[in-house]
Amino acid sequence: MLGLEWRQWRSTAWLSASAHLGDSRLFVFDYAIRALRVAVLVSIWTMLIGDDPDSSPLPLPALLTYTIVAEAFAHAIHLQTGLANAFWNGSLVNYFLRPAGVVRQFAAESAGHAVFDFMLFSLPLLLVAACLGIDVVPESLESGLLFGLSLLLSLAVGLAIEFIAGAIAMVSEQPIWLIENVRRALSRLLSGAVLPLAILPFGLGDVLEWLPFAATAWAPLAIYTGIEGGTRLIALQLGWAVVLWPLALGLWHWNREKVVAYGG
Amino acid sequence: MADRIPVGTLRSIVQLVRLLGLYARMDVMWIARARSTAVTFYLAEWVLGFGIVASTWLLAERFDGIGPWSRAQVVFLLGYSLLVRGVVDMLFGWNVAHISRRIGRGQLDHMLLQPVPLWVLVLAEGFSPLSGSGLALSGGVVLWLSGEGLGVFTPALFVLNLLASVAIVIGFSYAWASLAFLAPRAAEEINSSTMDLIDQVRAFPLDGLGPGLLGVLLSVVPIGYVAWLPARSLLGLTDSPWLVWLTPLAAIGIVSIGLSIFGRGMRHYRATGSTRYLALGHRR
Amino acid sequence: MQPDRRDISRSDIAVELIGVHKRYRQRQRADSLRGLIGQLRKPEFRIVEALRGIDLSVRRGEIVAYAGPNGAGKSTTIKLLSSLLAPDEGRVRCLGADPVRDRRQYVGRIGAVFGQRTELWWDHPIRASFEWKRVVWDIAPQRYTRALDELTELLDLAELMSTTARELSLGQRMRADLALSLLHEPELVLLDEPTLGLDVLARRRILAFLARVNRDHGTTVIVTSHDMAELEQLAGRIVMIHRGEIAFDGDWSSLRRDVNRHRVLTLETDGARAPAIEGAQHRQSAGNRHEYVFDAGAIGLAVLLDRAACQCEIIDVETHRPPIDEVVADLYERWQRGGTAD
Repeated sequence: MLGLEWRQWRSTAWLSASAHLGDSRLFVFDYAIRALRVAVLVSIWTMLIGDDPDSSPLPLPALLTYTIVAEAFAHAIHLQTGLANAFWNGSLVNYFLRPAGVVRQFAAESAGHAVFDFMLFSLPLLLVAACLGIDVVPESLESGLLFGLSLLLSLAVGLAIEFIAGAIAMVSEQPIWLIENVRRALSRLLSGAVLPLAILPFGLGDVLEWLPFAATAWAPLAIYTGIEGGTRLIALQLGWAVVLWPLALGLWHWNREKVVAYGG
Repeated sequence: MADRIPVGTLRSIVQLVRLLGLYARMDVMWIARARSTAVTFYLAEWVLGFGIVASTWLLAERFDGIGPWSRAQVVFLLGYSLLVRGVVDMLFGWNVAHISRRIGRGQLDHMLLQPVPLWVLVLAEGFSPLSGSGLALSGGVVLWLSGEGLGVFTPALFVLNLLASVAIVIGFSYAWASLAFLAPRAAEEINSSTMDLIDQVRAFPLDGLGPGLLGVLLSVVPIGYVAWLPARSLLGLTDSPWLVWLTPLAAIGIVSIGLSIFGRGMRHYRATGSTRYLALGHRR
Repeated sequence: MQPDRRDISRSDIAVELIGVHKRYRQRQRADSLRGLIGQLRKPEFRIVEALRGIDLSVRRGEIVAYAGPNGAGKSTTIKLLSSLLAPDEGRVRCLGADPVRDRRQYVGRIGAVFGQRTELWWDHPIRASFEWKRVVWDIAPQRYTRALDELTELLDLAELMSTTARELSLGQRMRADLALSLLHEPELVLLDEPTLGLDVLARRRILAFLARVNRDHGTTVIVTSHDMAELEQLAGRIVMIHRGEIAFDGDWSSLRRDVNRHRVLTLETDGARAPAIEGAQHRQSAGNRHEYVFDAGAIGLAVLLDRAACQCEIIDVETHRPPIDEVVADLYERWQRGGTAD
């Protein structure tokens, strides 16, 4: 049975990846845009902290590593499956008609896309950054291993948030793109993906790190860069995964009829 | 022929005014169809607006300004930036700004089947004075909160720069959207990428960027004109007062380039048409 | 402001295609990682000849059925006629205009309905879509009121006027779409599979409506569909397209005559055993009723009856032509095998 599930997963992931790659070479433009955004952020950090290192609670090298790694693992920390799209174009019902778990299908699609994206964009980005003198290696071997674990938990929490957002769209009968826009805006701000939580003023970071959004970006990135030790952050991530998944599955179960009507 | 062009243009302008009125009425009907829709819509817009500007504002608070920009000036920059985004949403909603989606989804056909010049449709079809006004209102409030501006520049120059920034966003979007003529599926969301880039970079003071990167942001990817340069010159942070005219001048160039590339794309579309079709997203 | 029609001639010919070619480039995709990476470097394309030298002329006031198997080039032709595409070679003239060059004036004089698309505004009541049409097409108030009243009555839309498009059934939506396309009283109506997915009753209403519009207003109609019986009911002329070329252009009886001369003969005899009739192929028997198929072009009915009468007593005789769908299915099958129309 496990063999079948793996084959289903692999086949879906491959189709997703090849659709992304095989259509045209235009994804290169998308990569150029992402690279430009990173370059701007790196320049801004350098401008802000370069001349006055004491002004920041985080040293410049850690901030630069944080920015590069955040972009390299953007697919995981800004997890976005095809769920919103399936809601929007009415193809969600098709996912229920296949002999595989709905969540697993979306996860496989995202993974296929992410793996190729990582090879074609993230690895070159990490290499270029390293050549430019930015330290892109994890703080320690232990940080690297914990980062891997934390990234998996980040995916679990991100996926749960995505499905809860979908359920909210169903319950509230509001357009999915509206809910998705709000989720993305909140996530960008509260997760620490753009600004490390440790750098936020007014003690905001101390509050935000307890929220589920922080479990998707801040936790793995802080562990990678050695800004914080892993145990507490991983425990928090685990806690949120344990809380959010039953909630997400429950909401979907209770609204199953609505899911099919809404998504069909 | 020469004497007919102005008559045709005049007729198109009259048509544009009528269509703007029509779409304004339809927008009111759309947002007013349910109270929950209106409330959710505005709440979502405000959260989105806050998300766009919050990072820079928090940085300015943490570092007591950013580079040569004081905290109040940073807030002005954020207000200007939100206002530009708000006006784009208000005038070019429903994927008129994200035109790559309409092209990639085969929805351009709906526009071509109307007996109206395409430029009139581009200026009219996305007009959403009510549903698209959330970010513009937020921008106005943030500008007011900044306490900057009054007495430093004339309202006319402010409006001119604002409109120029809006035109640059649209010119830039249309130039990139033309890729969707060549690869409808792959480039359907190219405007999401360009708009995301603008959203994520527009609110930062770009003073510390190296000349190469700044050159890119003032030419090929002209985000520098979307908020940073006009806000900088309006606030008098530039060496030369003439720089306040740079954004309007750049707008002329960028819109011309964008239209020229888009025109080529349209000629390609006439030859190939669209083999894809998706019904959603272009009409409210 | 009415659309400018001054420079557009009003000849008897509504639609004219001369030597029209249309080609598409289709990207080919590998299904292996190696192939995909190779194609990133060097993309592969296939040229599809959608139309190969189409010559077609339609007179004003005609209803023309435009049919052919999937991928034959029907939709491409409709797109050429509706100004959405320009030909690669050849000339397209409609209502005396070049659809692409004179797009603005031209689309003001035609109506187009694509069965899988809608022109209605999704979240607005139907009435709002009609009002939108009035403003965009700049329809004079009196003309608008008259056309709207007529269409509302003919298509039974009164009860739907305050319903949003997204809440309509497929049949209701199509009726509303048809009304929208005819609100400005177009001279030429292009319909690409307008009855796709509709039930029998909805189809019948729409066909009757189109026939009436053609009769009352002299509107030229070009309609594509896969339902041949429906096309036969509506149109006097059938143009069949196959692999981008016109394979048949004429009336329905000529099509039947040219494509399929088979007749079905049913004999009621005095026995359960079917007589063996030379020149007719026995298909089935039920009791003392026996069914045969014969080629009406090769042998006469009287000869067959003589041959049968020699073997048994004939109580009753029935003959009928095969349904048009069967005729066309035979034709498509022959095309697939590489044969010609006759």
